[in-house]
Amino acid sequence: MSEERQVRILYVAGALGFMAFSLGPILYMALTAASRRPDFLSQASGWEFTLAHFAAVVGTPSLHFLDNLRNSIVVSGCASALCVAVAAPAAYAIARLELPGKALILLCVLAVSMFPPVSLVSYLFKVMAALGWINTYRALVLPYTAWILPLSLWILTGYFAQVPVDLDRAALVDGCSGLGVLRKVVIPVAAPGIFSTALLAFIFAFNEFLFALMLTTDHAARTVPVGIALFEGLHGEIPWGIVMAAATLTTVPVVFLTLVFQRRIVQGLTRGAIKG
Amino acid sequence: MRWHPISFPARLAMAGALSPFIVALQFYIVRFLGASFEVTAWVLLVLNLGSVWLVARRWKDLRFSAGELTAFAIVFLFLAACVLIPWAIPAAVSGKVFQLIYNYNYGLANYLMNAMGVVDRPVNWLGTSAGAFLSLVMADAWKTTPFVAIILLAGLSGIPGHLYLQAQIDRAGFLRRFTRITLPLLSTVLLIALLFRTIDALRVFDLMFVLTGGGPGGSTTSLSLYGYNYFLGGDFGYGSAVSVVLFLIALGLSLLYIRAGRFARELS
Repeated sequence: MSEERQVRILYVAGALGFMAFSLGPILYMALTAASRRPDFLSQASGWEFTLAHFAAVVGTPSLHFLDNLRNSIVVSGCASALCVAVAAPAAYAIARLELPGKALILLCVLAVSMFPPVSLVSYLFKVMAALGWINTYRALVLPYTAWILPLSLWILTGYFAQVPVDLDRAALVDGCSGLGVLRKVVIPVAAPGIFSTALLAFIFAFNEFLFALMLTTDHAARTVPVGIALFEGLHGEIPWGIVMAAATLTTVPVVFLTLVFQRRIVQGLTRGAIKG
Repeated sequence: MRWHPISFPARLAMAGALSPFIVALQFYIVRFLGASFEVTAWVLLVLNLGSVWLVARRWKDLRFSAGELTAFAIVFLFLAACVLIPWAIPAAVSGKVFQLIYNYNYGLANYLMNAMGVVDRPVNWLGTSAGAFLSLVMADAWKTTPFVAIILLAGLSGIPGHLYLQAQIDRAGFLRRFTRITLPLLSTVLLIALLFRTIDALRVFDLMFVLTGGGPGGSTTSLSLYGYNYFLGGDFGYGSAVSVVLFLIALGLSLLYIRAGRFARELS
């Protein structure tokens, strides 16, 4: 069994190496944010703790970090809710009804989700400009919903297909209407799946960059990723401490969600990417 | 209406400006290699992690019922969950973090290389085209490895355990079990991960926009960024032509992906 022991040590070492690789940059970000100087690695004085950068990010109105964060949360929340509201009935229909060309519909949906966003963004800009929606929440919520919908539909169809048809039949026999079955039986049973879908949709919308870059102009609708990317100091150089503090504050809620709902995220992603 | 869809092929043919395309396509071929390199390079680590994760989960379930979940197991599972973090944070944020990591004077990359004695003077990561390319590949690998890991984990959990047991009875060593059982049975999932990541790499925009801005000298400009620059300059016709080419490549790869994943069979 000595080889088994070696293999096990190899596994643990590999896993620990992988974790260090994954967490290293995150730790570096947090350390820089809480350091008096960004160049603490090459300084003799070493790392000195300070919360000044966090205070600056939250306390300086001209940085608009809190505005951006609010925009991000509102836009992602709306897009995620809208996405699930549209995708759930559609996925239920695809999972239950005997539609001709059902497979084709789902495959087209899958192909659309591979679409490069840059192909759309200029026309989207023209449409939004014509509607006068540039720099509003609407201009982001609608494209995000359309963009995340294919994946949501795909994931939800998988979840609904797992709900036994007998449950539907029993409810129908007991005098439930078609919509009633969906609302009172299928959705409660598939609630964990719907929740993972909403969570994934939220994370995707929160992280989106290109649409937000093109369709917003200032803090009235600009989201956090764009805000951080366009951060610049007064004199043109990058204020690393403040940028990293903003990055850390942005990462905290996402990391929290990820750690708490890790299993749901993994389930949802697995369903979206491969079947069986 | 120069931007009307009908005019793309005409403009594309007329422009006689195919050469920038070919350059962009060449970059993309290299970038494909980057994506495949990234996947292959991390496969081994991911396999390790995956096995440990599976072992740990089974172990946890066993012990948990007996109320004996050890502190070590809790810490380990927590760390395993942390591996998802790079995937979950915005690419623009990771781009900024990596910009600092690759900083010439005081970045983490140069500090580590210097501390390990690999180089005797700082590496100019973002200032040279080779360095910028490598930096992008590393940053993208960091960001997307969790996703590949999840896909491979799903594939790993689909391999029946009795195969390993039989192999062990037949006294097949670790390496033999890996090359004769794990790799062959995982090949479809590996192909799916590779295709998915390639399609994803094609669409990369935010990481390049933040980390290198397409530079130095346009050496790391992706097709997305290339098209975007034309849109920004107001040339919607040319920008759209770039987008259409990008879309056609993505579509071709998507069809391959759908074939490899045997999605149609699953649906029927």
